[in-house]
Amino acid sequence: MTCDQAAPLLAASADGVLDGERRTTLDGHLAGCPECRAALADQMAVRAWLARTPDVTVPPDFRERVNARIDGGDGLLGVADFRAWTLRLAPFAVLLALAAWLGVGASPSSTSTPATPSVAAAGAFVPSSAADWQRNVSGNALLEAALRPAAGGEVDVR
Amino acid sequence: MDADRALVEAAAGGDRDAFDELVRRHQSAILGLCRALIGGRDDAEDLAQEVFVRAWKSLRTFRGDSSFRTWLHRVAINVARTHHVNRGRLMRLFRPALPHESDPQDRVEAIDARLARRDVVERALATLPRDLREVITLRDLQGLDYKEIARALDVPIGTIESRIFRARQRLRPLLAPLVDGRTTP
Repeated sequence: MTCDQAAPLLAASADGVLDGERRTTLDGHLAGCPECRAALADQMAVRAWLARTPDVTVPPDFRERVNARIDGGDGLLGVADFRAWTLRLAPFAVLLALAAWLGVGASPSSTSTPATPSVAAAGAFVPSSAADWQRNVSGNALLEAALRPAAGGEVDVR
Repeated sequence: MDADRALVEAAAGGDRDAFDELVRRHQSAILGLCRALIGGRDDAEDLAQEVFVRAWKSLRTFRGDSSFRTWLHRVAINVARTHHVNRGRLMRLFRPALPHESDPQDRVEAIDARLARRDVVERALATLPRDLREVITLRDLQGLDYKEIARALDVPIGTIESRIFRARQRLRPLLAPLVDGRTTP
């Protein structure tokens, strides 16, 4: 038996699970090989120290939180699950694509009433279509218009 | 005879109290396993919870070929592998390297000997490649026998023996603070 052949048996030997024939063969090799004897001693030392690794402290509410997740929660894995996120975000991606397409394709002469609250202040910008929003609302323009006092000093937001 | 058999059968039939008892019995082992597998990071607890959630959802598929403990460890390994893949993707997006992959002996803070000991072990384990880390954790921290590990990882026993040997060899210098007695139990 060579050292390379003995190596995999050293772990099982340290664990005391080496069967008869393999045990005899290994013992024969160990008798004349100080390197493998040292390696066996290392295996036993590491095994003993790892086995004495202190148990973790389980948080008192661990089971409670497991039950909460079974009942419908989600955890860090859910957050980090790319496939799950792809599925979750797919409808929003479709809606965004649709909104972008409608915004770009809308007619500039559209006379439809805006669904958003209008700002009825003097000089306030009231968009009439999605295209108007794109062309005329940039930066804080809408915010500034909303905050600009109407005649009489009040902002009327309907 | 699997000590969990009656509880597993009850839980597979929808008995939440039975499953809660299974969680109570195995929570410490699974949390320890998750910590060891992912390097003791804070999300180990979340991972351990996920193991039990997955176990609950797939309990009906448990055929009893192995003990519930072995099966649960297999679930944990799979959850940790998925977590590793997902975390790797995130890290590649936001950071070039994982912080826990640094030298495990670079910042041993022995505030408390017990915590320091676990800390050294977890950081040493974190330096191992996944196949070695899994097998040595299952053997030396979780106490599974070779057959159970072979079942949990679905690899031959000869491979398990070889991996355990190599893992201990690589851990020996990293655990020197423990083995040489600088950190007492």
